[in-house]
Amino acid sequence: MEFLSLLSPELFLFVVAGVIVGIVFGAIPGMTATMAVAVCLPLTYSLDMVNGLGLLLGLYVGGISGGLVPAILLNIPGTPSSITTTFDGYPMTQNGEGEKALKTGITSSLFGGLLSVFILFFFAPVLADFAIKFSYIEKFLIILFALSVIASLSKKSMLVGIFSGVLGIWFSLIGTYDISVGGNGETRLMFDFMEYHLESGFALLPVLIGLFGLGTILEEAEKGVKDEVQSVNGAALSAATAKTGKFSFSVFKGQYVNLFRSGMIGTFVGMLPGVGGSAASVLSYTQQKNFSKDPSKLGTGAPEGVIASESANNGLTGGALVPLLSLGIPGDSTTAVLIGAFTLQGLQVGPLFIGEHLDIWHSMVVALLSANIAMFLIMFFAIKYIARVITVPKYLLYPIIIMMCVVGAYAINYGIMFDVWTLLLFGVLGFVGSKLGIEIAPFIIGFILGKSAEVYFVKSLESFGSFTIFFTKSPIAVFLWVLILVSIWFSIYSSKKGSQA
Amino acid sequence: MGDSFSKLLSVNIDFEQSHMFFPKIIMWLLFLLFLLIVVLYGRKFLEDLKAGRKSIRFFEENFDKIRLFGTIGVVILYFVLMDYVGVLFPNTGLGFLLVSIPFMMSLSFLYVHDLNKKKTIIIFLNSIIAPTAAWYILGNLFNITLP
Repeated sequence: MEFLSLLSPELFLFVVAGVIVGIVFGAIPGMTATMAVAVCLPLTYSLDMVNGLGLLLGLYVGGISGGLVPAILLNIPGTPSSITTTFDGYPMTQNGEGEKALKTGITSSLFGGLLSVFILFFFAPVLADFAIKFSYIEKFLIILFALSVIASLSKKSMLVGIFSGVLGIWFSLIGTYDISVGGNGETRLMFDFMEYHLESGFALLPVLIGLFGLGTILEEAEKGVKDEVQSVNGAALSAATAKTGKFSFSVFKGQYVNLFRSGMIGTFVGMLPGVGGSAASVLSYTQQKNFSKDPSKLGTGAPEGVIASESANNGLTGGALVPLLSLGIPGDSTTAVLIGAFTLQGLQVGPLFIGEHLDIWHSMVVALLSANIAMFLIMFFAIKYIARVITVPKYLLYPIIIMMCVVGAYAINYGIMFDVWTLLLFGVLGFVGSKLGIEIAPFIIGFILGKSAEVYFVKSLESFGSFTIFFTKSPIAVFLWVLILVSIWFSIYSSKKGSQA
Repeated sequence: MGDSFSKLLSVNIDFEQSHMFFPKIIMWLLFLLFLLIVVLYGRKFLEDLKAGRKSIRFFEENFDKIRLFGTIGVVILYFVLMDYVGVLFPNTGLGFLLVSIPFMMSLSFLYVHDLNKKKTIIIFLNSIIAPTAAWYILGNLFNITLP
C-alpha cells in the first residue's frame, strides 16, 4: 500500500477543483471536456504527477458530466456526448420534471463512472501484461488497428476518416528522424529555412490546444458568438429548478439492467481508440430503445432515456483510459490531451506504465473514484447554482480561454514563441480542415501515434527485410489482422446498411 | 513463382535515406486515398452541386465576417506584441500581462452583443482581473514561464 503515502489531502482538493471547473466547462455549450483539460494543462506544469493527474482527471469527469445540464434544461447538448440526453431530458423539463431529470442523469452518471473505473482497474493491467510481449511488429499492427477502428466509426465515410488519420501521421513526421530511436538524424518534409524551428517537429500540446481551444472558438466566432442561453428566456431556467417534479431514487426501479448495460456499452466504446462520447451514448440509447418495454415512450420524456445516455457517457471516462494506460493509445480526444500531461512529466505511457509506476496507477484510480463521487455530490446538491453557470456570457469566457491557451503553449518548452504560433497555425488548420471534411479525432490519433508507427514499421523491415513478417511473425499478428479486417468489414457493412435505409 | 513473390515483398532500406522511407509511403498513401475519394465521391458531389443540393460555399450562410476575421487579426496582433513587449521586460512575464489586458478587452468588445453600460464595466473588470490573476498565480506562485 505504498501509494497511500501519495494520497495527500491536496490530491482530493485538486480533484474537487478539477471537477468543479470541469462541470462549468461541460455545462457551457461550445466548451467541452477536452477543452477544459487542454486549457488547464499549464496549471499542472509545476504540480507533481499525482496532483496534476488528479486535477486533470477531475476535469475530465466533471466536463463529461456537466454536459447534461444544458441538455436537459435548454435542449442544447453541453458536450457532444450529451446529445441523446436531450431526447428525453428536455421533454421532461417541459413536463415540469426538470429537477427529476437532472438528478436522474446525475445519479446515472455516477453509476456509469464508477462501473467504468472498476473495469479500468481490473482490465487495464491484464491488457498491459499481454501487450508487454508485443514486439515492434505487433505494436505497429495495434496502431494500424486503432486507425482502422477510428476510420470505420467515423461520421462521414471510412475513406475520409482514414485520410484524416494518415494526414495526422504526415504532420507528426515533420522534423528530424531522431537518432535516439535509431534514425539517421536527417530532417524531412520541410524547406531549409524552417529547420531552425521545426527541428523537433510540432510540439504535441500546442497542436492539441490549437485544435480544441482556438479552433473551437474560431468556429463560434464565425457563427457570431451568440449566447444561446441568453436568448432563451429566464422562465425556462426557473421552471426547470422549480420543485414540481420531485426526484426520488425509485426512478431507477426496474432500470438496473439498463443502467448496467449502458455503463458497459459506454466503457467498451470508450476503449475503442479515437471513438468519442457521442458514439457511446447514441449506441446505448438505441439499445435501450430496442429492449424497452414501451419503446414509444422514449423521446417523450422517459427517465430511462436519460439513464441510458448519461450512464453511457460517463462509462466512457474509465473506458477511454484503458487503451491509454495499457497500450499508449488514447481512447478519445480528451485522453489524447492527457498523453500530453504524461509526456510533460517525463512519463511514457504504454504496456510498461502500470508495472513500473504502480503507485501512480493506484492514485489515478483513487482520483477517478473520488472525482466521480465529488461530481455526484456537487451536482446533486448544488444543481441550482450550476444551472445558473450556463448563463455566463461567452464574450467574457472566450478571451480568457485564448489567454490560457497561450500560456499553455508558451510554457510547454519553457518559453518558445514558435509554440504559440503553432497554436495559431493548428487553430486555423482545425477550423479550415473541419470545413473541408477532415475529421479531427482520427487526425489527432494519427498525429500522436505517427512517429512510433514509423519506428515500429521501419525497424521491423530493417531487421527482417520483408513485408511478409507483418503476417507471419506470431499468432497475435494474425489475430490483429483479423481484427483489422473485421473493423473494415464492419464499416463497409454499416455504410451499405445506412445507404439502404 | 513463390520465390518471385517473396522477392517482391522483400525490402532493403538504405540507412542514409531511411528518414524518407516511411514519409514517402505516407505521402503515396495520402495521394492514393485522395484519388479514391475523388473517384468514389467526386461524381456524386458534382451531381449534387449541379442539382443545387450542395454548394461549395466555404463559410456558413451569413457568417459573421467581422467576428471571425477580427478574432484572427486580434490574435495575431496579440502574439506579435507579446513577443515584442516581452523582450523589453525579460523574465518577468510583464509582456504577457501588459498585452493580455488590451487583448481581452478588444476581443470582448468584438464578441459582445447589445453593449450597454453594465456590460462595459464588467468587460473592463474582467480584462484587468483575469490576466492579473493568471499572471500572479501561474507566473509567480507556480513559476510558469510567461512571455
